[in-house]
Amino acid sequence: MAFYEENPQGIGKADLVAAILSYNDADSIGVAVERVSRGLKDHFGDRNAVLINCDSHSVDGTREAFFQAPSDVPRIYLSTETGGSGKGLSLRNLFEKVRQLEAKAVLVLECAIDNLTPYWVAALAGPLFKGTAFVQPLYVRHKYEAPLTSALVYPLSRCLYGRRCRQLGSGEVAFTGAMAETFLNAPGWSDAVSSSGIDVWMGMVAMTARVPICQTVMHAPRLRRSKGQAPELAPQFRRVLTVLFDLMVAYGDFWKRVKWSKPTGLFGMNGRETEVPPTIDVKVARLHAQFLEGFAAYEETWRKIFEPATFNKLMEVRSLTPEHFTLPSQTWATMLFDGAVAYRDADAGARAALIDCFLPLYLAKVVSYVKRTERMSIQQAEDYVEAICEVFEENKRYLIDRW
Amino acid sequence: MPKIMVVDDEEHIRLLYSEELLEAGYEVVTVGSGRELLPKIAEEKPDLVILDIKMVDYDGLDLLQDIRAEHYDLPVILSTAYDTFKEDMKSLAADYYVVKSFDLTELKKKIAMALETRLPE
Repeated sequence: MAFYEENPQGIGKADLVAAILSYNDADSIGVAVERVSRGLKDHFGDRNAVLINCDSHSVDGTREAFFQAPSDVPRIYLSTETGGSGKGLSLRNLFEKVRQLEAKAVLVLECAIDNLTPYWVAALAGPLFKGTAFVQPLYVRHKYEAPLTSALVYPLSRCLYGRRCRQLGSGEVAFTGAMAETFLNAPGWSDAVSSSGIDVWMGMVAMTARVPICQTVMHAPRLRRSKGQAPELAPQFRRVLTVLFDLMVAYGDFWKRVKWSKPTGLFGMNGRETEVPPTIDVKVARLHAQFLEGFAAYEETWRKIFEPATFNKLMEVRSLTPEHFTLPSQTWATMLFDGAVAYRDADAGARAALIDCFLPLYLAKVVSYVKRTERMSIQQAEDYVEAICEVFEENKRYLIDRW
Repeated sequence: MPKIMVVDDEEHIRLLYSEELLEAGYEVVTVGSGRELLPKIAEEKPDLVILDIKMVDYDGLDLLQDIRAEHYDLPVILSTAYDTFKEDMKSLAADYYVVKSFDLTELKKKIAMALETRLPE
C-alpha cells in the first residue's frame, strides 16, 4: 500500500513508536505532540523513540502544525494518499512503517482527545516492555457510554475468542512490532476495517494470535473533542458488525475450540485517583420507536434468518411498551448467532442488507439495557453486562451446532 | 481428579468447602493464612484456587495480583461475604466470584466452568 511520507530527519530505526492519529486537527495536534513527547521523555527516556503523525490526508495544515510543535522527539509524517482516508488506512500505513523501522513497541493515540496526559503514554506502552503483546485501555465509563461495546462487541468477542477485554475498540491501543506484522498478514481486511472498524478488528486479531493481552487501567474517562457533529450511529454499527461477522467466518476453526472465557491481565493498578465519568443521557423513546419502525423494513428478513422460536420471541418483544420493555439476552445472542450463519452463507450484496437489518434489533437491546440498569450504579450495571456475557457463553453450543 | 485449594481464615468455611467439594469428587487442600498461600501453591500445584477476599492477615485482592504475577493461568474464584469488592478493579483479574453461602451450588457451577475453560494453544 502506498502512502505519503515526510521524514526530514531521515529516521531509519526506532525502538518505540508513538503514533498520533489525525484528520484536520491542525488546532490540536501541537498539544498532543507536546503531551506525548513529555510522556516519552518522563517514562521512556532511555528508549529510541519516534513520533509519527498518521494523518488521513488533512487539508487544514495538520502536517505543518505537527512539525512546528515544540518537541525534542524525532518526527515522521505519514498520510493516506489523495482520495484515501479512514482510521484503518492510516493504521495500515503505520504497520508498514513500523516494519521498516523494526520498532519493538507501538502506541497509538487519537489527536482529538481532550484529556490526553503524559501518563497515557506510560499506561499504554508500559506493558509492552513487560511481556505483553497487545494492550487495550480500560477507561472510566458511565453505564450508558459505548453501548455498542456493552451490548455487542464485548459479549460476542468474549464468547467467541475466550478473552475478557471489556472496552475493545475504544480508540487508543498499543502493540509490539511483531503484532504489527501479524496485523499486516491477518484476514478479514475490508472497507469496514479501513475505516473505524479497525479498532475492533485489531483486538480480535490479537485475541486469535495467542499472544499475551492486557487491559491497562487509565483512571480517567476518554473525552473526545467534538468536531461539530456527533458520530453517526448507523455507519459505525454497520462497520463493527461487519468486522465481527467477517472474522467469525475467517476464524471459525479457532472460536469453535474456545469454551467459556479467561480474565485478561491488568496493568496500571497503581493507586492513582480515579476520575468520575460524565453522565450520559439516552433517549429511550426514540430508540424504541426506531426498533418498531424496523419491522416495516425487515420483518420478512428476520423471519427468514431466525429460527422460528427466536422469531416468535421477537414478535412478543414487539408488543412490549417502552415502560416494560425487555429484550432477553438469550434472544439477542441467538439472533446474532443466526445472523452470523446467514451472513456466512450470503453473497456480498446480501451481506450488506443483512447487517442493516440488525440495527433496529441492536437499538432494542440498548433500550432493554437502559431500562434494566436505570436504577443501578455503574458497578451494578457492570455486573449486568457480565451476566449478558455469561448468557452468550452458555448459548455458544447453539452457535456451534448451527455453524 | 482436579485439586482445589481453599484459602480462608475462617475454619468453618474451610471445613464446609472441603466436605462438599470432596463429596463432589475433587481433591481439596486448605490454607488458613494469606501469608502461606504462594509457597503452598508452588508446593501443591492446585488446578484452581478459591480465595477469600477479607482475611485477617492479607487483602485477597492483593493476593490475587501476586497469584497472577506468578501463575498467570491458574483459575481463581473469589469468595466473599459482600460484593463491594467489585468496585476495586483488581477484582477483574479473577475468573469468577461467589458470595459465601452454605449452599455451594453456585460455587460448584463456577468451579466446573473454570476447570472446563478452553482456549486454543
